[in-house]
Amino acid sequence: MTAAKGASKSQRVATPAPKPRFGPDTLAGWLFSAPAVLLLAAFMVLPFILAFYFSFTNERLISPRPTEWVGLDNYARVFNDPRFWKSLSNNVIFSVIVVPLQTFFALFLAILVNQKLQGVAVFRTIFFLPITVVMAAVSVIWIVLLNPDGLINAFMSIVTFGQFTPDWLSDPAVAMVAIILVSVWASVGFQMVILLAALQDVPESLYEAARLDGAGRWQQFRNVTLPGIRNPLLFVLTITTILSFRLFDQVWIMPARPGGPLDSTRTIMVELVDTGLNKGIVGRGSAIAVIFLVIVLVIALIQRRLIKQEGEVR
Amino acid sequence: MTHSSTSRRVALLATAALVGTAFAAAPVAAQGDPNVCDGVIDGPVELTMMVHTGTNPGAEQESVDAFNAGPGAELGITLETIPLPETAFETAIRSAAASGTLADLFDMDGPTLYPFAWAGIARSIDSCVSQEKRDEFLGSIIQQGTYEGELYSLGSFESGLGLWAHKSMLEEVGARIPAGIDDAWTADEFTQILKDLEAAGHSTPLDIKWWYGAGEWRPYGFAPMIQSAGGDIIDRNTWDSADGVLNGPEAVGAFTTFQGWVNDGLVDLDALDDNNFIVGADGEANTGDEAAISWVGHWMSPAYSEALGDDLVLVPLPDFGNGSKTGMGSWNWAATSGPDGVPNSGDEADLDAVYAYIDFVTGPEEIDRFVTAFGAVPSTKTAIANSPNHMEGGSMAMYVDNLEAAHTDVSLVQAGAVPRPATPAYIFIRDEFSDLMADIVAGVDVQSRLDEAVQRIDQEIADAGYAE
Repeated sequence: MTAAKGASKSQRVATPAPKPRFGPDTLAGWLFSAPAVLLLAAFMVLPFILAFYFSFTNERLISPRPTEWVGLDNYARVFNDPRFWKSLSNNVIFSVIVVPLQTFFALFLAILVNQKLQGVAVFRTIFFLPITVVMAAVSVIWIVLLNPDGLINAFMSIVTFGQFTPDWLSDPAVAMVAIILVSVWASVGFQMVILLAALQDVPESLYEAARLDGAGRWQQFRNVTLPGIRNPLLFVLTITTILSFRLFDQVWIMPARPGGPLDSTRTIMVELVDTGLNKGIVGRGSAIAVIFLVIVLVIALIQRRLIKQEGEVR
Repeated sequence: MTHSSTSRRVALLATAALVGTAFAAAPVAAQGDPNVCDGVIDGPVELTMMVHTGTNPGAEQESVDAFNAGPGAELGITLETIPLPETAFETAIRSAAASGTLADLFDMDGPTLYPFAWAGIARSIDSCVSQEKRDEFLGSIIQQGTYEGELYSLGSFESGLGLWAHKSMLEEVGARIPAGIDDAWTADEFTQILKDLEAAGHSTPLDIKWWYGAGEWRPYGFAPMIQSAGGDIIDRNTWDSADGVLNGPEAVGAFTTFQGWVNDGLVDLDALDDNNFIVGADGEANTGDEAAISWVGHWMSPAYSEALGDDLVLVPLPDFGNGSKTGMGSWNWAATSGPDGVPNSGDEADLDAVYAYIDFVTGPEEIDRFVTAFGAVPSTKTAIANSPNHMEGGSMAMYVDNLEAAHTDVSLVQAGAVPRPATPAYIFIRDEFSDLMADIVAGVDVQSRLDEAVQRIDQEIADAGYAE
């Protein structure tokens, strides 16, 4: 260690020029990272560069016509399409409702199952179970449950004395509500587990000290629990926001047509897949992908900035 | 090039043309050209075929096995199937072409041929099919397989739509039972029958297989409704627009009537399988809670006949003014332009070998296999004449009547089957139609929704250059 230090020092003395960037270790380093770098390049970087390029062309999945440069035509088409704005607003509505709702429920459930009770592991498992089922399967099952004559409405009929039994997936007024409920049900367990781990990291001694100071339950929660799980909570908020913007499986599978009824659950992801893959209009689909990336990037950056500022205040 | 050599060449060409005409049926081509049928299979061939996994995937595999064991073994051809899910079938074909992994043959639902032919993915089999073989088929099959004057595909079976009904329920409300396609219920009469059935205690009497979901079913099943009213899904004179036909007063009227049935609670939109027509919600047959009428294709005939027996009756779709219409066309087989889907790129399999299977699968035994499995209408005249259900007076003779009255011009003024439009824009129109029907069921304003659909269709035709 000291020898090496001495050697490098003497080297620096001998040659004042900066150390060469490529030494014998560099090659090994590149070799070790090569598989990952190659895969990332092939499956992440290249497709995105292609998408960026295609978004300025008339590229189609099948066409006897040659690919031609069309400038900003695709972007103009997307921004002039009322369906795109409807999709974007659906995304925003979904996120604005789901992010706080899901985080709140996750925290609520985490606190609930963090108690030292007999058999609490059973409840943890039950709340976590929906996560183990893929969203596509969840969607198919909920189609049956949300059928107007299905289980959910049988329950609704009892608790509302038959006053409120909507046609969940066919009525534009309630379809998004149904999608939100299913989404929260299906994924709240994931956030719950993260927050549960965070809760168990808060030292018991802090609660003891708080109790000695005469803090009630609410004060303990406000002044010990929340600050103790601040970072995981912010992580959960960020990841839920990004995941909520990717809303696709449920709204593709559950309504009578993807994003239906009447575009009330259409999202940007649906718009993207429908345009680029189903209709084979690769150029415009790529433009939507680029726009989508920019939107998610901006949201993530804004969120990061807000979190940072809070950190500085503390 | 001197003048004399030009004229000599013209003379040579003329002689060649004369010789060609003399050989009439046998097309003249260079030996070994893989893109022309020359009657010679160039060596042992291994072929692949992309097939959809539909309602009866067994039949298609059985047919391939029979080919490999029989004519395939004799001719030195082995055929292997690559099954693909029906719901994403065209996307899978398009993606395979884009990535250079296309099979040598594929099967497809009738009208999806046109975008593939337009893009050069499908390869013409015009040089392979003898006049004798062509004459065997129903006109609708040749029409379905032809794009820009070239024959691309052949099918073993045809299709048709109709209304299957519980005869006892119709008799209960005193409904007239139409005798044939020229005797169909009018739209008003049909609306009244549905209301009477509802009043007689048969709730949501009309089953429309809504659970089939997005895709081909909706335009196949319900475009005949607007065509019967005098509308259509594309202008068949210009092929470049849907304006005035899909959003004209005729189509708007038919869809408004349909929306009325939905609003009056006459349509079963909640069924998740065929049981609503067979046994109803209580799970028991003949209890009166079954849907009285089922708006569906021929493929339900085996199941319905077995379940209802003598109480089952088949009547034509309602007449909205221009005669009762039905969809037509079905799955058919075509050759591809090799793995890359690019014509004449040198990677195509020998067309004689490829056609050997298409010829086999449209032969009498295979037609019989598919007709039995799917309850479909046979695609050749001989097979129809030999099928008890389809011959004159048979339980499914109506489908044949419809196909014999199939429309070959664009006027669409009498009853009969309407071909799905032979345009590469069909897939786009189909998806748009499927979406707009879902919106109409959800209560959208019909006129403005159809205007919106027309705008999208016209823009796409212009963007893609489908009509050029």
